[in-house]
Amino acid sequence: MKTGTYTGKIQLMFRVGRCLILNSLFVMMFISCTGQYKGMPREEVLAYHTYSTYGELYALAQAYAESINAAVKADTLHPGMYADYGVVLAQMGHREAACRMLNAEMLAFPESRGQVMRVKQSLLPELMGNEQADRTADTAQLARWAYDSISALRPLTAVASVIDSSDREWISQQTPTDSVEIPIRLTANQKREMLLQEQTEAERLRKAREDSVAAAKQAKLDARKQVKADKEKAKKQKVKAKKQADKEKKRLDKQRQKERKRQAAEKEAQRKQNVKGGGK
Amino acid sequence: MKRALLLLLPLLMVVGCKGPKKMTQYNEVYKERPSTIYIAPISDRSERHPMRTLDDSLYNASLNTATKQLFLTASDPLVFNGYYVLGPLASAQLAATETRTGKQLRNDNINDYYTELGIDAVLFITLYSWSETSSSWSADIEYVLRSTRTGNEVMHVFVKASKQLPTDFKGNPKPLGADLDFAAKYGCDLETAQRCRLVEIVNQFVLRDLPSGSRSRGNAVERYVVSHPEYFNLNINPSGGVELLKSNEN
Repeated sequence: MKTGTYTGKIQLMFRVGRCLILNSLFVMMFISCTGQYKGMPREEVLAYHTYSTYGELYALAQAYAESINAAVKADTLHPGMYADYGVVLAQMGHREAACRMLNAEMLAFPESRGQVMRVKQSLLPELMGNEQADRTADTAQLARWAYDSISALRPLTAVASVIDSSDREWISQQTPTDSVEIPIRLTANQKREMLLQEQTEAERLRKAREDSVAAAKQAKLDARKQVKADKEKAKKQKVKAKKQADKEKKRLDKQRQKERKRQAAEKEAQRKQNVKGGGK
Repeated sequence: MKRALLLLLPLLMVVGCKGPKKMTQYNEVYKERPSTIYIAPISDRSERHPMRTLDDSLYNASLNTATKQLFLTASDPLVFNGYYVLGPLASAQLAATETRTGKQLRNDNINDYYTELGIDAVLFITLYSWSETSSSWSADIEYVLRSTRTGNEVMHVFVKASKQLPTDFKGNPKPLGADLDFAAKYGCDLETAQRCRLVEIVNQFVLRDLPSGSRSRGNAVERYVVSHPEYFNLNINPSGGVELLKSNEN
């Protein structure tokens, strides 16, 4: 009886141990899978679509390079990754590199040829027709090259305020002109502040626009009032002139009447004189 | 006899509640066998606030970000199902070369996409409206997949999706941990996070239901699997689970 219970306990312990080992194996497999494969860097893509700064573009390029590298290592390449990376590189001004990435997309996914050729034509028209160049290269090599190409730009990761001297030297070496574009990876608060600033600016512009519209409206109203007043004045003047003319007419009429009366009186007097003279 | 009928009744109800099979729902997809899908720019018809105050502009920015997220997350489920989809940035670049408007693309002949670009089908997503209360967010989204060879609509789905937030003991809504994580990760406010996660889940739910790509192994196997109906309400409950609430099949 005792032996039976011991056997049961041992069996139970064995089962529990087996379960634990199997579970840990599953967990390890899951962790290893998730650690290797990175999908599309959606966080960076959304950030770039929302804020569209050079810093976001640079972060996006880095994320794509890392994703491609990890994906090729895990042998699970996401469709459209090379093409997207090519577009990012073209926007950053690395035209040759962009061309290689677009060619790599066509190589990895032949069904993408039509679409990628159209994208290439719009972005890199001068590099059309060199698709044969990368035909021999394998995707792993291209991914390594992509990763290295973006790694070469590593010193450009500093925020403007905390760039150390070595970075400044590097920037001055890279760009002979004074116009240095420093990519800045913004924090969430900085992004929010930037958005708020943009909104405030938009608000200010809107107010200014509203003010100008109101001023124009007022000016229009004033002009209309002025025209109305002018019309009133002209009307009054017309009435006054008419009254004046009437008065003048009356005066002239009176004068003419007086004249007529005077003439009639003169005629009467002359007639009387003639009658007296005839009598004599 | 009565007992037999009473036993059959729940069985009939269960059978009646089941959705259509993929073979019938996506009959055209099985006929056309597309392998390359292009996602057209999102047609956003949701109403924006007139820009009077700062809140209005923040609200509009939130809607814009959600629309972008809708576009960015549409490719993942399609890729998972075995279709070739160009990445979002390259797709946007391709869309920039297009001279036709979205409406023209949606209705006119798009055979040149097949002959010149090698695209088998174009996915049009239309975001109709947003509505929200203090504890729920909802959006009306339409998905149309048009074949470039024949011009037929091979898929047409209209979703009324809503998301319920859990409430605390006072009845005030409290955000889910996943939403807070999203907001922290993407550097956006909580409202934007709610919207972005909603459209992401809807994309996953609708587009993952498409049959696997013609070159995938699952294409023939899953023909008899139950699929979603053409019109349905989707509810994301406070615990984060997704449930298909009501369906009006035509």
